[in-house]
Amino acid sequence: MPANSFQLVDHFFRTEYSKAVTYLTSRFGTAHLEAAEDAVQEALMKAMQTWPYQTTPDNPTGWIIRTATNKLIDHLRRQQKVYYATKLPEQAASPQPSEEVFSDELIKMIFACCSPSLSIEHQLILTLKILGGLSIREIAAALLKKEETIAKAYTRAKKKFKDQNLRLELPVADALPIRLQAVTKALYLLFNEGYKCTTGDQLIRKDLCEEAMRLNHLLLGHTQLNNEHTRALMALMHYQVARFEARVSADGNPVSLRDQNRESWDHQHIQLGDRYLATIKHGQSNEYFLQAAIAGIHSRATSYSSTNWAHIYQLYQKLYQLTQNPIIGLNSIIPCAEVYGPKQALIELKKLEDAPILNGNYLVPATKSELYERVGEIKKAISEAEMALKFAVNKRDKLFLTKKIFKLVNRPTSKPM
Amino acid sequence: MKQFLYLFRGGDEGYAEQSPEEMQAHMARWGEWMTKISNTDQPVPGLPLHESGKVVADGGNLITDGPFTEGKEIVGGYVLVEANDLDHAVELSKECPIFEFGGTVEVREAIKM
Repeated sequence: MPANSFQLVDHFFRTEYSKAVTYLTSRFGTAHLEAAEDAVQEALMKAMQTWPYQTTPDNPTGWIIRTATNKLIDHLRRQQKVYYATKLPEQAASPQPSEEVFSDELIKMIFACCSPSLSIEHQLILTLKILGGLSIREIAAALLKKEETIAKAYTRAKKKFKDQNLRLELPVADALPIRLQAVTKALYLLFNEGYKCTTGDQLIRKDLCEEAMRLNHLLLGHTQLNNEHTRALMALMHYQVARFEARVSADGNPVSLRDQNRESWDHQHIQLGDRYLATIKHGQSNEYFLQAAIAGIHSRATSYSSTNWAHIYQLYQKLYQLTQNPIIGLNSIIPCAEVYGPKQALIELKKLEDAPILNGNYLVPATKSELYERVGEIKKAISEAEMALKFAVNKRDKLFLTKKIFKLVNRPTSKPM
Repeated sequence: MKQFLYLFRGGDEGYAEQSPEEMQAHMARWGEWMTKISNTDQPVPGLPLHESGKVVADGGNLITDGPFTEGKEIVGGYVLVEANDLDHAVELSKECPIFEFGGTVEVREAIKM
């Protein structure tokens, strides 16, 4: 039975937007991307203005596609595209594609939006706008950028998209693995954009995570794209999103892993993470697998202290060998301290800190401060925390560090140096 | 119970800038409101209207494109609502989502024969 307009599933318009824009772009060509977007926007407006008067149409997707197609044809006619004007009417009546065809088209659109010829920033914005159905304002809120900045970036990204005449097609067999890597990377970053920061509107940030998961899910539905990398990424996403709410307190402050209420982790997501992780046979050189395995250990630990830190540290070392990324190295310092003690961890940290990428990163002095505190060198702990405060950008991080300095300075029994 | 006609005008200027998510939320509020002010579990009867039409005058000798009024003045739709009296009908109209974008509701009582 058709639903009333307020009983549609959550995010229905957003997913319909991406479906319809993708469908129109694939039919009329990427040159008409902008017109397709306008047509779909108008179709949704019309739905919004007319559906509340009755029940929604029996086939809302078909209704939106049909309305948007007609609007796009009108638009092209007005522009006197004679070719289309003479050819289109009967096509307009073509039957609505099946869900399978939609999925295939969406996957092709993911590949076009995540083309390596575009900068990663442009990839993310295109993905969020076209596939996520987010408005410029929402993207700006989610990425903590100015609306104007995103609007300009989107215009540029769209221009490149058109200039390069990016085609909506799956890369050929040889190129597919490499292109798929770029796509999973973009989805990983998209997810992280939503996850990493605890400031701003959490609702819209969770949308980014869910969007990345939805798109990854589409990839998993395609036999050629369902591999150990996409599955490991899915496992990682499930583990992380399970902790989404627990990592922010009611008053909006970040809660460290140690202090999170493990009861409030979403165990359904953890189970799904486990299930995806269990399907991976050869994870040792799979970055997402190693990250997911680490997240999985955290998820299964009943407390911070009973966590299997030795295994986590071992996985981090593998991950560091694989990526040679100093940030990964930095992340391994706390597990190292849990296994070998803070002194050893300080030695390991010294090896890393000259890496240019860590230059000015507040986490380096913040981690040092934590380690010095643990070995009882409070003066050093304070000066490192002050250094971290200088580098920190985020308001909440600054607040956290200020509190920490206050606590260190006012320690009742600080050991003499 | 008396019958009232609500005429909706304007409010669409802000629509074009809304995101799909916001449009869905706005639509849901319309649907909820139309069902809330109804005596049944269905929305109150009514219809949305196209913005253009014809004005027929002089026994059909004079037909023009219409309405001529400005965007804001065009009736975008109507519903029929049952209420105790005009005050009650006005009260019921106050939660109409059209006000979110600066539109208006004209409330008119139907004359009973």
